[in-house]
Amino acid sequence: MKVTPVEVHGPEGEGPPKEESKSSVMWEEIDGENTILLQRTLRSGQSIRYPGHVVIMGDVNPGAEVIAGGNIIVMGSLRGVAHAGAGGYEGALVAAFRLNPSQLRIANHFTRAPDGNYPEPQQPEIARVSGGTLIIENFHSGSSKLFNL
Amino acid sequence: MGEVIVVTSGKGGVGKTTTTANIGTGLAVMGHKVVLVDTDIGLRNLDVVMGLENRIVYDIVDVVTGGCRLKQALIKDKRFEDLFLLPAAQTKDKTAVSEEQMKDLTEKLKEEFDYVIVDCPAGIEQGFKNAIAGAERAIVVTTPEVAAVRDADRIVGLLEAALLTDPKLIINRIRPSMVKKGDMMDIQDMIEILAIDLLGVVPEDEAIVISTNKGEPAVLDKQSRAGEAYRNIAKRITGEHVPLLNLEADGFFRRLRRLFGAG
Repeated sequence: MKVTPVEVHGPEGEGPPKEESKSSVMWEEIDGENTILLQRTLRSGQSIRYPGHVVIMGDVNPGAEVIAGGNIIVMGSLRGVAHAGAGGYEGALVAAFRLNPSQLRIANHFTRAPDGNYPEPQQPEIARVSGGTLIIENFHSGSSKLFNL
Repeated sequence: MGEVIVVTSGKGGVGKTTTTANIGTGLAVMGHKVVLVDTDIGLRNLDVVMGLENRIVYDIVDVVTGGCRLKQALIKDKRFEDLFLLPAAQTKDKTAVSEEQMKDLTEKLKEEFDYVIVDCPAGIEQGFKNAIAGAERAIVVTTPEVAAVRDADRIVGLLEAALLTDPKLIINRIRPSMVKKGDMMDIQDMIEILAIDLLGVVPEDEAIVISTNKGEPAVLDKQSRAGEAYRNIAKRITGEHVPLLNLEADGFFRRLRRLFGAG
């Protein structure tokens, strides 16, 4: 995957955050992909597009979007739109402490939150494509094999 | 060939989006083919009020910039076959669309739909200009407050300058008990200042708060007085003659009728 500079768009015109050099080195050792670490909450109207993986230390609020060529990890609540594997990579995943997106896309697979009231997630979950459909399962420490490491 | 109607107000928070959602849904209930267009780019809300937020993939900016086909961006309502929403973009701003592009867009939409209802952003800047660019009729929403009426007056002037010469007025969130005590502007005062035709009066109603949060327009709620007012407004838009609601008739009998679902 070709890595181009990250684009972060926000109504306040924030510049791109600093890339964590350590983590990108780590990923390069693993499979040559880059990761960006975002240490803040994405609010409505803000979006991030990045060809590699995206890790967000904060929430993704409704109306915000994260589009990544690789995986998306949200260390907080994911309530907006997430599109992992945006370049068509079906092995991509989306994980969040509270996986509650208004819309979830992995590669060309698409799902949305149910209409009306539904119980909110109480533990970290992980979404991936399995057997041609998007599935969501509880995330626990033994799940590391899901990350294709 | 359909009609393009813009819902505008100048001031924010007077109920443009609620009005757009309810009028559009009201017209769809009557069997018309309706599309709601959210032009509040960067602060979109109509999708939330309609309960369709989770279905958005493409938006108005994608359509005008050629990022997708018009049909791809139209979201079909979950309740009515012939009701559609064209959502605004959230990650862009008002300059992402031009007046010319809006004209082209509404031209295309009115070939398909009986009514194209355009939800205008607050203010009088680019977003307002875009919203009225393709409109043939205008609805001005105001509340019984001096500031809202002042802004509505400004808007009527701007609409006239843009050759939308016969705008209709909706007075929203009126509280009959306060008007009676003289604590709130009454309908006549407002009509006198604005000197445009009254399309309807919508009473303050808690059901609006509930329905807006649930994403179900109040016009579908047979118990809601505001919903009833919006049903009447939708009928008036189609040319039907419907008398104004008697806002004081909320006594014992009315409540009794409502109890039996006949309100």
